[in-house]
Order: sequence, then C-alpha cells, then structure tokens
Amino acid sequence: MNAPLFKFGLFGNEVSLIVAFIIGIGFGFFLERAGFGSARKLAAQFYFRDMAVFKVMFTAIITAMLGLFYLSWIGWVDLSQVYLVPTNVWPDLLGGLILGVGFVIGGYCPGTSCVAGATGKVDGYWFILGLVFGIFAFGEAYPWISDFYNSSYMGQITLPQLFNISYGVLVFVVVLIALGGFLLAEKVEKYFAKKDAEAAR
Amino acid sequence: MKNFLAHLTTQRKLGLFALVLGFFAIFAGSPYNRTKITLNAKDLALIAEKNADNVSVQDVANWIIQGKVDFRIIDTRPASEYAAYHIPMAQNIRLSELMDQHFYPTDKLVLYSDTGEDAAQGWFILKGQKYQAVYILKGGLDTWKNQILFPRLPDNPTPDQLASFNKIKEISKFFGGTPQTGTKEEQSQPKVKNLPKLQLPENIPNATPRKRRKEGC
Repeated sequence: MNAPLFKFGLFGNEVSLIVAFIIGIGFGFFLERAGFGSARKLAAQFYFRDMAVFKVMFTAIITAMLGLFYLSWIGWVDLSQVYLVPTNVWPDLLGGLILGVGFVIGGYCPGTSCVAGATGKVDGYWFILGLVFGIFAFGEAYPWISDFYNSSYMGQITLPQLFNISYGVLVFVVVLIALGGFLLAEKVEKYFAKKDAEAAR
Repeated sequence: MKNFLAHLTTQRKLGLFALVLGFFAIFAGSPYNRTKITLNAKDLALIAEKNADNVSVQDVANWIIQGKVDFRIIDTRPASEYAAYHIPMAQNIRLSELMDQHFYPTDKLVLYSDTGEDAAQGWFILKGQKYQAVYILKGGLDTWKNQILFPRLPDNPTPDQLASFNKIKEISKFFGGTPQTGTKEEQSQPKVKNLPKLQLPENIPNATPRKRRKEGC
C-alpha cells in the first residue's frame, strides 16, 4: 500500500472529505494544545516574549520533512504524487505580507482563528468573519487582479531544484536551521524575560 | 555517552534525533529516485494470461465518442510519426520519458505504438511504477487504422458481418475515416492514401486532455 492513499484510489471523493475532517480536527486539537487558541500567546511571538509559534511550526516542518523524506526513501510514499502549490513570486510575497500584517494586528492566522472560535473566543469569531469577508472580496475583485495573481509564475518548483542541490543536503540544512533557531529562540526568550523583570522592578 | 543522553531534556533528545536523521539524509539519495522499478512477475503473468493487459480499438473508440474522462492515451512512437497521425486525445510520450511522467494513479493508461511491441515494453515500465490500470491497445495503431479508420466489408458478407460493418461505419466516420466497401477497384487503392486530419468532430465533449483537478489550498 502506497501513500498518498487518496491518489492511489484507496478511497473516493466522499470519504476523502471525512478523512480531511478528521485530519482538520486533529490539526486544530494540536494547535489548541500548543496554546494557539489564544491571541495573547500568538501576539507574544511578535514581541519576542514567547517563541512557541516559531518552535511549534518549525518542529512541524522538520517532522513532516524528515517523515516524508524517509517514508518515500523506503517506498511508502510516492512524493511525485504529493501536490505542490505552484510558486508565483510577487503575488506570494504580497499575500504573505498581507497575512503577516493581519496576523500581527488581529493576533490570529486563519487556522488559529478557527481554533479560537471553536474554544469560544469572541475575537476569534470576529476574525473568522473577517476571513470570510476577505475571501468574498478577493473573489469579487479577481477579474481586476488576476493578471497580477498569475504573474511571475515559476511552476511547482522546490528548493533543491532552485538551488540545484540534492534533497538530502536540503533536509540537513533545514534541520540545522531549525535546531539553530530553537536555541536562538530560547536565548531570545530568556533575554526578554530578564529585561521585563528588570523593568518591573 | 549514556550519561550524556541521560542529562538531556526530551526536547534536546528529539532535536538530536532530528539532527542524526538530517545528517543521514545527505547520503540517502533522492526521494524522487524512480528509475528503478520492482515487478511482481507472477501478477503480471496472470494479468497477461487473462488478457486483462489490453483493450480493443473499438473500446477506446467508444470511450472517446462517449467523452469519458477517466483514461489517457499514450503514443510511444517518435514525434514525427505522432505529428503525422495519432489517435485523437493521445499524448506523445517516448519510452525513455515514461518514467518521468506523473499520472493520476487511478487513471486508465492506454499505450499504443505501431504494432504494440513498444507499448508492451511501456506497459512493464508503468506497471512497475504501481499504476493499477495500464493497458496496451490491442494490435496497436495498425489495427486502429484497419478496423476504425478504414474498416473493410468482406466480399459476400454474411448478415452478421454486414450488421457489424454498419455499426463500425459510423464510428469510422466519426474519426474521419473512410469505410472500405464496394468494388475491388476501390479496395486496391492504398488504404492510407489520406489519413484523416487530426481534428475531432465538434460534438465531442472531451477533445483536449482534461485539466487536472484543482488541488491544494
């Protein structure tokens, strides 16, 4: 049996929705357990007081990366069947910037706003409303922005292809970046905790 | 060493584990390495024995006419021959390029070449990549020409032969072919005198290979 299971026809479209629902609930559960249902916790990231967002996300990235790399290496996952979102450089950068600014202002990203809403946070509900409105506005404005939206298209490109290095080297480099980032994050947290303590005195 | 590990927190142990895995990844080679395939000889032999490895030209013609979208036709001949004529909807993929293709695993893949030998080799390549529904077009393009484009009514046909010829005549016309009937004079003309142009009739719903389903978020 090979993964992706859906692509290999293990279940159809309808069942795939149920699977997606279960995975979504699981994703939400772990976001909540990491404390990401709280805008305070998330916003603390941007003031360098609590680097949990950075640590959780980078942990997820290297766990998924190592898992996919080794599972495909032993032949359980067919990576060529895993969908890659195509890259459009400038639209992606602008979209990332808008999402980032919204994250800093509102205290949530789209996923965590749903987690916050599910745990009964009122600001989460407002955020979800804004999210839905944004989707609607984007859809309505699409004819005017579609040229930009589709510009600087690079296709389904990966970092090893871009830098012309092997996948294994990239995996190692990303692990190094993550571990270095974790150590740095702990130092930053300690530094700001000390500073806050001094300021409180 | 044991002492060193015992003093580490769980987080640091996991970090160390990730570091080790990352290090060995350098030497593991590409996860996309698809030039080696494994074949289950018994499975393949059984499939071939049951004739479940091929589809007839009539079946494929019917799929195209019905506008089915769950199959892809692959022409393994050289590009020049493909340009001269190919079965509508077929894509030109040489055997050497077959490994690099990413098909939808549940699609039916129908391979053809002139007589079917190249297609049969392609069948092994795709089967080895774990595609479930791979078929060879029985008799290849030669049979497609003989039975779909230029079907021939034998002399003094039986009623059965006549009935099936009348049916195939319609299919043939759909693909721009010329059914061969009548006098010996006509029959002696070279059959491939004018291969039909590659335009599909307009009423076909699926003339271009379908777009992949939109994926991702």
